[in-house]
Amino acid sequence: MLRDEVKSQLQSIGQADILVGIPSYNNARTIGRVVQAVSAGLAKYFPEARAVLVNSDGGSLDGTPQRVAEVGVDLQSILIAHRVNPLHKISTPYHGIPGKGSAFRMIFEIARALEVKACAVVDSDLRSITPEWIELLLRPILKEGYDYVAPYYLRHKYYGTITNSIVYPWTRALYGKRIRQPIGGEFGFTGELASYFLAMDVWGTDVARYGIDIWMTTTAISRGCKICQAYLGAKLHDPKDPAVDLPAMLAQVVGSTFSLMEEHVGIWQKVSGSEPVPLFGFQFEVGLEPVPVSVDRMLKAFELGLGEFIPLWDGVLSGEVLTDLKTMAPVAPEIKFPDDLWVRVIYDFALAAHRKAMNREHLLRSFTPLYLGRVASFILETQQCSHEAVEERIDALCRVFEKEKPYLVQQWNHPVNRGGHP
Amino acid sequence: MKGLWKTAFIDPLREFLGQVGAFMPHLLVMIVILTLGILSGWGIKSMIFRLLMAIKFDQFCGRMGLSQTLSKGGVRETPSHLVSRVVYWSIILIFLMFGLGALNLKPVDQFVTQVFSYLPHLLVAIVILIVGFLLANFFGRATLIAAVNAQVTQARLLARAVRLAIILFALAMAFEQLGIAKTVIVAAFSIIFGGVVLALAIAFGLGARDAAKEFIEQRLKRNQHQKEEDFSHL
Repeated sequence: MLRDEVKSQLQSIGQADILVGIPSYNNARTIGRVVQAVSAGLAKYFPEARAVLVNSDGGSLDGTPQRVAEVGVDLQSILIAHRVNPLHKISTPYHGIPGKGSAFRMIFEIARALEVKACAVVDSDLRSITPEWIELLLRPILKEGYDYVAPYYLRHKYYGTITNSIVYPWTRALYGKRIRQPIGGEFGFTGELASYFLAMDVWGTDVARYGIDIWMTTTAISRGCKICQAYLGAKLHDPKDPAVDLPAMLAQVVGSTFSLMEEHVGIWQKVSGSEPVPLFGFQFEVGLEPVPVSVDRMLKAFELGLGEFIPLWDGVLSGEVLTDLKTMAPVAPEIKFPDDLWVRVIYDFALAAHRKAMNREHLLRSFTPLYLGRVASFILETQQCSHEAVEERIDALCRVFEKEKPYLVQQWNHPVNRGGHP
Repeated sequence: MKGLWKTAFIDPLREFLGQVGAFMPHLLVMIVILTLGILSGWGIKSMIFRLLMAIKFDQFCGRMGLSQTLSKGGVRETPSHLVSRVVYWSIILIFLMFGLGALNLKPVDQFVTQVFSYLPHLLVAIVILIVGFLLANFFGRATLIAAVNAQVTQARLLARAVRLAIILFALAMAFEQLGIAKTVIVAAFSIIFGGVVLALAIAFGLGARDAAKEFIEQRLKRNQHQKEEDFSHL
């Protein structure tokens, strides 16, 4: 899988202590700063470690790998005077399905070859990364005996809506761990865990795309790894490509979540309630810029989906949920998508995926209008809320997920036929 | 008088009884074959049903949208029941043909030969129709979902058009396989298909010029909104 030039680079490096991986695709504009922050972080906090920076690129056309190669950091300007081990840089294209997961696979491969003790991965479009991120992601692994470090950010209340409305409450209710950013994008983990990830047969699935983050976090939980969170402050990144297809992205994340549920059924069915996960790092307040959002478009998408998909959801959603959804149409500007209804929608979709009630791709893509309806409702509800109030609101949603979990377990083990399906 | 009686009545009766006597074993064979057909049809039917249940055929049909279409069409039976019933009647039909062949009657023999030579075409046509129907449902639903997610207001119409086009295509192929009005079917299909495409082109170019303009403008506006929003779902 590794190219010859990478193999010879690895041979000359031999063995390393730390590896920091940066997946990229056309990020020439931001990757330079990310590489500088990583280099400074390694020099400042791990000067004696043999460190390697790996850029796993998806075939960028804007000179991203060249930018990685040319960028350097002036250690004197950041007041580093001590002796620092040289940082090795490897920039290589990855193979397989185009996506973040495939990029990570290449990083894991190199981590295994170098027998590293600790790994960290950071996104290449970050604008707010600082050298401290590297310390916070790696020190719990190297010094505190943790196996997996998840990020903890301050984000605008409308950012990370898939995380806030689905993945965080879901992970918390199913696996009992309050990991606030299970699909954050920046993680720290042991070299051993990287080898374990690499050995899994998942690289032809959605894990190779956007499903990688939730897969890593859930795998770490289910393996009984010692997990903590690192407070990284604000997360700001370049605007995502508007052409990125939301239904596809949502299907990949939610689909991976459902697949993991099948895999770890013996674990999540025994869990009730949730416990906090240790959080490291100095917590500080950050002012976040307002985000322009068009709720009208979301409402239109929700209304259209409600009009067209009700017959499709007949074998997916339970009778009460369908009735409640039908009563929401026509959608008024003051849409209210209650927490309990939202939780039942998610659980019913998970159960439908388990029962194979419909073609999986169709099922997951038909979920998009419901998600947009819920996001619109959340935005309208929290327009005047502070960051703390929004966090409390998300916490309340998590508690509903936990409260309704017995329904999921009961329906999973003793399914009831729905909507005229065999 | 006695000679007349013999010629007019006894001889024809004897001849008739002789023919009946010669025919009876054939009839008996036919009845045996039919009985065997019913028994094996029943056995194979229940075997097929169990096999389909084991491989979760009903769930598969549910996923492909076939179950919903059947129930919409007033068919209350599950697809497994339906398939096993079709298999049962096909076996009965085949055994009936064998039985008729056993009667050893020339016109019936000819009919049976014709039916048997036609049977492969019929089977292929049925397979084409079933596959066509499944594909139509699958792509119809995929179109509906994609169109709704792209916020196309005429999503249902588009999905129906896709479904209808695939069913039409399957029907044309099935009729061609059956040899029914081959040239007429191909010509009709070409005319309808070409006509639809031409009509769409003209409608888009002339009649629905404003609608097309509005559609493209909406798409461009949406892309612009997305660029302006800087909204991160992940």
